[in-house]
Amino acid sequence: MTKSILQFILLYIILVMAQVLVFNRLYLFDTALPLVFIYFIMRLPVTMSLVWVLTLSFLLGFTIDVFSDTLGMNALACTLLAPMRLPVLRLYFPREEDLTNPEPSMRSLGVGVYMKFAISISLLYCILFFTIESFTFFNIGKLILRIIGSSILTFIIIMCIDSLINHQRSEKRL
Amino acid sequence: MRNLFDFLLRFRAWIVFIIYVVLSCILLFSGNPYQRHVYMTSASQVSASVYDVGQSVTGYFHLRSINDDLQRRNAQLESEVIALRSTVNSLRLELSSDSITIAEPLKDFDFILASVINNSITHPHNFITISKGEADGVKPEMGVMDQNGIVGVVDVTGKHYSRIMSLLNPDFRLSCKLKNSDVIGSLVWDGKSPREALLEEIPKQAVYAPGDTIITSGYSAMFPDGIPVATVMSNERTHDDNFFTLRVKLLTDFTKLSTVQLVVSNNRDEIKKLEPNNIK
Repeated sequence: MTKSILQFILLYIILVMAQVLVFNRLYLFDTALPLVFIYFIMRLPVTMSLVWVLTLSFLLGFTIDVFSDTLGMNALACTLLAPMRLPVLRLYFPREEDLTNPEPSMRSLGVGVYMKFAISISLLYCILFFTIESFTFFNIGKLILRIIGSSILTFIIIMCIDSLINHQRSEKRL
Repeated sequence: MRNLFDFLLRFRAWIVFIIYVVLSCILLFSGNPYQRHVYMTSASQVSASVYDVGQSVTGYFHLRSINDDLQRRNAQLESEVIALRSTVNSLRLELSSDSITIAEPLKDFDFILASVINNSITHPHNFITISKGEADGVKPEMGVMDQNGIVGVVDVTGKHYSRIMSLLNPDFRLSCKLKNSDVIGSLVWDGKSPREALLEEIPKQAVYAPGDTIITSGYSAMFPDGIPVATVMSNERTHDDNFFTLRVKLLTDFTKLSTVQLVVSNNRDEIKKLEPNNIK
C-alpha cells in the first residue's frame, strides 16, 4: 500500500515535470498540444473513492496551471474529468470486479480496451480544456482542429508512457 | 440532524465536486491579470526554479540561429554607426561644433538583460518567465524586446523572477506606426499564428505596400521610438468604414526566445504622472 502511494507521488512529480518542461513546448503545426499529465488521472485505482480522485485531479490541474500561467483552466477541466473516468471505463469494461490489478493499464485491461479507454479520456479532456480556454476567443474551426490534433497526440504519447511503465515492471519480475 | 449527516455523507462526492468547480471558476474568472498574485504564476520561486533547471538544458538549443540574428543585427548597427559618423563629420565641417544637436531617441532609456526561462505560444493568452526580478530593478509595465523586435511587457514581478505578458496575448496592445508614412495603428494578436498579428485602426487614406516595416510609435513610454516590430503582409477585411486592418508578420521569433532586454524608461514616472489614465 505504502509502496503504491510512493509510486503515485513519483508519477505525479514526473508527469508534472514532463508536461511543463517538455510537452508544453511541443506544439505541432500550431494546433496539436499534448496534455499528457492526465495519464495520472487514468492510472488512479478504480477502487479509490471519488472524493480522493476529485481532490487529486484538482491538485494536479492546479499545479499544471501555476506552471503554465493558465490559472483555473486545467484545474476546472481535471475536476470535470474526474467523475467521468469510471463511467467511460465501464463502457468498454463492464465488470470491473474482474480486474486483476485495480490500476487501469494496458496489462490489466488488455491492449484493445485500454486503447479505447485512452482515446476517449484524451478526447474528453481536450474538449473540456480547449472549450474552457476558448471562452475569450471564439474560432470554431481552430477549436475543432486543436481538439482533434491534441487528443490524437495526447493518446499516442499516453500509449507510449503506459507501455514503457508496464515494460519496466515485467522486466523486474523476470 | 442525523438526516443532515446522512445527506452530507451520501452526497459528499458531489459536494466536494461542486466546491472544486467553484474554486477553479474563481481562479479562472478572477479578472485583471495585474492583480493576480505572484505565487500563482510561473514567476513564483518554486515554478521559476524548476524552469531555471530546464533552461540550463534547453538554453543551448537555438544558439546557432540566435547567433545568426545577432550577427545580422550587429552588422546592421555597425553600418548605421558608420553612416551616422560620416554625417556627423560632414556636418561638423560645415557648422561650428557647438551648434549641432543630434537627435538621440535612446538617451532616455536604459536596458536590463535577462534570460527567458519559460515561454508559451500555445494558449490564447501567452506569458513568458524571465530570470530577473525586483532585486535587479524590474518593475511592472516595463517594455521587453529582443534582438529582432518587441517581445512584450512586464506583468508580475517576484524577487528574482518576473512574468512578461507576451505580445502573443490579446490583452496587450502596442501603439505602432508605418515607417514610411508615420500613420499610427494599434498592434494586437488575434490568436491565429505565433508568427502573425493584426495592425488595427489604420485610417482609410493611409498608403502602404506589402513588405513595409512597422515600428514602435514611442507614444506609450514603454518602448523607445522606432524599434522595428513587424512587416506588412496583406489587408484584412473589416466591418468598420473609416479604418482598415493589416495582417502583419512579426519580426520576433517567439518560438526561439532566449535573451531579452527590458527597457528602463528614465522618464517613465514623470510621463505616468502626466497621463494618469492613459497607459493601459
